[in-house]
Amino acid sequence: MKLLEKNEAKCIACGRCEEICANAYFKQENREKSCIQISEKQGENKINVCNQCGVCIDICPVEALYRDKNDVVRVKKDICVGCFMCVGFCPEEAMRQHDDYIEPFKCIACGLCVRECPTEAIFIGNRETAAVLETIAETAVVEE
Amino acid sequence: MNVKEMLKAHKLLKEYKYDLGKLDKGYTNRTLYVNLTDQRIESKPVTDLMKDKFIGGKGFGLWYLWNAVTPETKWSDPENEIVISSGPIGGITQYPGSGKSLVVTISPLTGMPIDSNVGGYFGPLLKFSGWDALEVQGKADKDVIIYIDGNEGIVRIEEAPLEAVDGHLLGEQLTEMYAESEADKRNISVVTAGTAAEHTLIGLLNFTFYDVRRKVPRLKQAGRGGIGTVFRDKHIKALVVKFKGVKGDLNHPADISQINKAGIKLHKEIHRLDHVQNRMRQIGTANIIEVMDEYDLLPTHNYKYGSHPDTYKIASDVFIKKYITQGMADGCWYGCSLSCAKAADNFKLKTGPYKGHCVTIDGPEYENAAGLGSNCGIFDPEYILEANFYCDTYAVDTISFGTITAFIMECYENGILDKEKTGGLELNFGNAEAALELLHQMSRGEGFGKIAGLGIRRMKKIFTEEYGADPDFLQDIGMEQKGLEFSEYLPKESLAQQGGYGLTNKGPQHDEAWLIFMDMVNNQIPTFEDKAEALHYFPMFRTWFGLNGLCKLPWNDIAPESNSTSDEPAKIPEHVQNYVDIFNGVTGKNIDKEELIRQSERVYNFQRVFNIRMGYGKRTHDKIPYRSVGPVTVEEYESRKDRYDQQLKELIGYDPEGKTTEQKMKILRKYREEQYEKLIDAVYMRRGWTMDGIPTIEKLSSLGMDLPEVVEVVRRHL
Amino acid sequence: MIKVNGRDSDWEENLTVEKLLQIKKYSYPKIIVKINGQLIDREHYTSTPIHDGDDVKVIHLLAGG
Repeated sequence: MKLLEKNEAKCIACGRCEEICANAYFKQENREKSCIQISEKQGENKINVCNQCGVCIDICPVEALYRDKNDVVRVKKDICVGCFMCVGFCPEEAMRQHDDYIEPFKCIACGLCVRECPTEAIFIGNRETAAVLETIAETAVVEE
Repeated sequence: MNVKEMLKAHKLLKEYKYDLGKLDKGYTNRTLYVNLTDQRIESKPVTDLMKDKFIGGKGFGLWYLWNAVTPETKWSDPENEIVISSGPIGGITQYPGSGKSLVVTISPLTGMPIDSNVGGYFGPLLKFSGWDALEVQGKADKDVIIYIDGNEGIVRIEEAPLEAVDGHLLGEQLTEMYAESEADKRNISVVTAGTAAEHTLIGLLNFTFYDVRRKVPRLKQAGRGGIGTVFRDKHIKALVVKFKGVKGDLNHPADISQINKAGIKLHKEIHRLDHVQNRMRQIGTANIIEVMDEYDLLPTHNYKYGSHPDTYKIASDVFIKKYITQGMADGCWYGCSLSCAKAADNFKLKTGPYKGHCVTIDGPEYENAAGLGSNCGIFDPEYILEANFYCDTYAVDTISFGTITAFIMECYENGILDKEKTGGLELNFGNAEAALELLHQMSRGEGFGKIAGLGIRRMKKIFTEEYGADPDFLQDIGMEQKGLEFSEYLPKESLAQQGGYGLTNKGPQHDEAWLIFMDMVNNQIPTFEDKAEALHYFPMFRTWFGLNGLCKLPWNDIAPESNSTSDEPAKIPEHVQNYVDIFNGVTGKNIDKEELIRQSERVYNFQRVFNIRMGYGKRTHDKIPYRSVGPVTVEEYESRKDRYDQQLKELIGYDPEGKTTEQKMKILRKYREEQYEKLIDAVYMRRGWTMDGIPTIEKLSSLGMDLPEVVEVVRRHL
Repeated sequence: MIKVNGRDSDWEENLTVEKLLQIKKYSYPKIIVKINGQLIDREHYTSTPIHDGDDVKVIHLLAGG
């Protein structure tokens, strides 16, 4: 499974990754339109980004969410109805929505931000899918 | 037979082409009118008056129906209409419960307007096809389908002789027929009735949505009041709408940001809290089966009692563990994260024409478990599912069927009915086999099933006139009012809920008000004035869902954390504000929560006047059977003797010591019946009605509802 | 004696919110509990005592199917 991994201790919250992402997706350097979101909490920098757990896949009423050949979770915009249930049910709160658009958007581990990160706080990992999902299941809040 | 052959047998009666039009701020501003007698198809403008005073949904339905009928119109007259409309909010995808259709017609059971709120995709897809409402009038000679293609702009009336009539088959056949591919199936919604709608007065409509995971059209029901009976009487086999391209902005809302915000907030709330609150995502409305039992509210044995030792056999966990597929996206419209449209998959039927078939069953809803199950003394989950399936596909309202069967069973056990009269059916409480056969007879139009299908009101007359039954006893135990069977809650210990059932427009259905916990358990509305206020606010608030294409459940089957510190928790104030926001977000208007209530009041009072116009809608029609008020029989009294004895002492000042049960029952009855009359006085006063239940002209004027035709009706009764 | 939703109710030694809910058979999950106007969180139901004379509100939030 390809995914964007993080080392938050190294993050200096420069925001470069957000600009790169928003620009790649929407041709705008608007951080609110970035799949990766940096915030500061009690003096520590937090990196919020999709961990490709795939909970959203089962939430979607129209099967617009799927895993691609690299097991990355992606949105089929053409069949998405814009209900944003995936946004509300994302355990990481990493599925994005912006009022300028009628579909959600998310990190697809493209790696553009990684190249620009000055501190190597983010990097593209390639892990065995089953192992990752197991770890996620162990730490996830049990619902239902 | 395959669907190609069926399609080949279609005969085109009329084709109508239309401009797709524009949807603006929740409205297309047009209604599709179809007359089946002369095959006329027209586009009618939705006027500003309609939008201002009736909003949409059942408001539009009632207005069209008012203009279509006369006081003499019977349900089976060609001028009677079936009107389907969602409402301005209907079809948004971001907020849970926003895809409902409201159906209105003159009911075969009540002789006045009935309205029913139903899921499935039809209403939203109809709107996206260019129509705020579909108004069907007249009668076809032979079975027809009305087909609407919302991408091409085509409406067709076609004779359709070969398709099945039963809902689950017809839904599948037409979905397959009109879809170009598997992926296209979700763009189709079908409205059907079923075979029993041809032989009973309790016929319902099934509205489909295609379940992309189960790969089967699911059926949601416009259950109450016999709308399916009217549908088949008009020789409508089905309505089909096809629209491809659903997106979150098709309503062209004035401010999508308000809608997104409210929607995502509620999705998160449901994600966080549903599993510790009502578990709607696991089991839907059936979560309350055992809750109702524990609070002595689950109707058992024709509403004699409120609980039963065997309820554990049909408790929600039984359905969760054994039957209901978990973890599916069970919304009946896009964006419903409450996801209560549960289904049992691969259920093997044991009886009837589809015996041996493995089917997907929509349900069980709470009402099905209570009505089909406990109220008939049947505590068998597989019976409940099987009867649920057959009710849906045959198009029988499960609530009416349950309440009817419970009434019949009590009559049977009292010797009013016997094997000879029922054609061999031993309809004792608990006899699942006989109950299923009764249902199959309704489909075939045979035997005692035909009599049962007439509903309790007509049965009471038949049993009295033909079998010599005591009419007073039947009046006491027959759980119908206005001709409609009660839904499945025991209101004996909640005076407010007796009003919640009795003081309704369409008949005793709990969708106007469910006040039992507020009243009986929480003791929040102790005085008549308190109860009257609740019987004003809640019916008005809940009417609003039906004007806008909304579902009631996301309002209070989930509550935010903030609710526990709010001043009026029963109203769920944060969610009320969500509704104000999404209404304003779609329409661009600027209403507040007070105007929301006034919007409902206009339509609510209009419906009351409509009832009066049809010869009903007065105080005498708001009477309720004593079974809903107190113990009719000695066994009922004695089963809760301590409770009733205590009430005699504390409330009436009557010493029960040394008195016979009959003596005590008489005193209790007098008291309880007087209480109900006092409640009516208080509620009528609060609603701005005369003591005969007529909305006053002052009230109508203050609401801006003093339309000349409305005032004219009222004036004759003041 | 305590009040529960405005009605008299027996009090006993070591009464807690949890115990009261059991005695009253208040099994519905969506409730709000207040003692003398003070909101009690669900996680404190077992540890919160109810004293003789307390005014307890157990507000059930249900409005039908």
